[in-house]
Amino acid sequence: MSTEAIPQKKNNDGQLVAFFQAILIDIFLWAYTVLVSYKIVYQKIILANRYSDFTWNQPLYALGLGTIIAMALFMTKFSIGRGTRGMIEHNEARSVLKEPYAVLGLLMIILTFIAGIFISEVSMREFLSEAGLGGAKRIFTALLTPNFAIFEQALFAAIETIYMAFIATAISLPFAFLLGFFAARNLMSNSRFFFTIYNLVRFFLNISRSIEPLVWAIIFSVWVGIGPFAGMLALCLHSVSSLAKLYSEQIENISDGPIEAMMATGAHPIQVIWYGVVPQIVLPYLSYTIYRWDINVRMATVIGLVGGGGIGTMLMQYQGLAKWNEVGLLVLVIASIVWAMDWASSRIRESIK
Amino acid sequence: MSTNILEVRNLEKIYPNGTHALKNVSFDVKRGEFLVIIGLSGSGKSTLLRCINRLHETTSGEIKFDGVDVTKLKGRAMRNVRSRIGMIFQQFNLIPRKTVLINVLLGNLANLGIGRSLLGMFSQEDRAKAKKYLQIVNLTGKERNRADNLSGGQQQRVAIARALMQNPSILLADEPVASLDPATSHSVMQYLKKVNEELGVTVICNLHFLSLVRQYATRVIALKGGQLVYEGNPHDIDEAWFKRIYGEEAIEVTIN
Repeated sequence: MSTEAIPQKKNNDGQLVAFFQAILIDIFLWAYTVLVSYKIVYQKIILANRYSDFTWNQPLYALGLGTIIAMALFMTKFSIGRGTRGMIEHNEARSVLKEPYAVLGLLMIILTFIAGIFISEVSMREFLSEAGLGGAKRIFTALLTPNFAIFEQALFAAIETIYMAFIATAISLPFAFLLGFFAARNLMSNSRFFFTIYNLVRFFLNISRSIEPLVWAIIFSVWVGIGPFAGMLALCLHSVSSLAKLYSEQIENISDGPIEAMMATGAHPIQVIWYGVVPQIVLPYLSYTIYRWDINVRMATVIGLVGGGGIGTMLMQYQGLAKWNEVGLLVLVIASIVWAMDWASSRIRESIK
Repeated sequence: MSTNILEVRNLEKIYPNGTHALKNVSFDVKRGEFLVIIGLSGSGKSTLLRCINRLHETTSGEIKFDGVDVTKLKGRAMRNVRSRIGMIFQQFNLIPRKTVLINVLLGNLANLGIGRSLLGMFSQEDRAKAKKYLQIVNLTGKERNRADNLSGGQQQRVAIARALMQNPSILLADEPVASLDPATSHSVMQYLKKVNEELGVTVICNLHFLSLVRQYATRVIALKGGQLVYEGNPHDIDEAWFKRIYGEEAIEVTIN
């Protein structure tokens, strides 16, 4: 029973907020549509410009024109903003897809699809060209006849990768464990002070998580030098933020009962967390942690590509020398360890459910 | 020592979302009583119990426990009051994946150092005490079972033992039998009666079934919409009072 609810906003406020959200959604979508129509449909398809020029005037004009269209259509049934904010009466018996605003939304998605194809330069001609197919045949033949001469070396590198992933997971564990509590809304929303900490922790977790481990590996390879240590640090940092996020979500899902019971005994807040919260989260935590190790092994191979050590670095070296038979062997080894880790981690996670 | 263990005066509780859960509630609880609180769901019974041991903050008013107003206490002093008030819940609220014995031992957390409790270092003396209380609720031999593998009635008895471990002056029981079948309900109520009569613990209990109220309560108070509407002997609640408390449409359901 969550009786200490967060104060509800007054109904009027809510309606006003929804109204402005609807307007912003409409303006954004129309500005986007105008811009994409101009850049892709007009410049690329109709004028067939290979390289289109870009000036900041274009998005500004698009925004202006988009605002005009959005305002003109805002009170009609074509307003996607009002539709998604639930401000248009919807007949339950009719499919949502028959509403004018849904049809408009669909058209915008089709426009995005067309634009995407042109931007990615999708070309069947190049995909099926004779020179291209010849190259593909050459590389596939080499990959399928792996060079087992470097097997021993590859195996050691793979072991290095697995250990690197394991240490990265193990070191990140206590940090993530602690941060998880501070990032759990239900534990932190009691006082303004703790809620500020919660927001700060969430902010830093989101930032460090949104930077790819690959980028962290580049940073750390400059910092501590190229090698497994740089890769380990990169994985570690990313693991801390991902695990802390998952842990905190788990804490937010626990039942209040045991916490109440522990508080009622007169226990200290630390004791309440240790006995009221922790027993409810150990198994999911364990499961997430093993899964993270699995992910880290996979990422470790990728991080090796930027000098993070292990089998990824080896892969990068042989690929740079265009030694495709050796690359074939490395791919084989990577695939096997990823498969093995995946299998093992899913089995372990199943058995502790 | 005065005869009143608890004195509630002009208690008000308004939740942050605006719900006015308790309106000017005043009553006394005598030492050794078995007081039952009745009322519809949402009438404020649970809120009232949780205000007494400060799981919920009160908005205004006084709650005097052994002569001390508990509503303004903070930190250690508040936890000290909580440790002298046991509580059992509708959903039992045992700690999952822990043994029965550990669950009972956790009742004594307030008297255990933080370090020792985090390491699970419970003294032999405490263990003996826990076993004694498990014997009182007839669960000897279940010490090493996982608490979440027991039946509902057994879990509630573990919860009673855990509350006894606090050596409480008052035992709060929030709908202790609402998730149990009729036979088990009676058994749990009988253990509460035993705790009340043999150990001299004052019991304050929320109940739904009037038949249980008449059988176990020494005194009754009734809440309706957050207000105290009845106070007196359980056998004096007749048809008219029943309809006043539960509404005109209500029909009494009995469990035997």
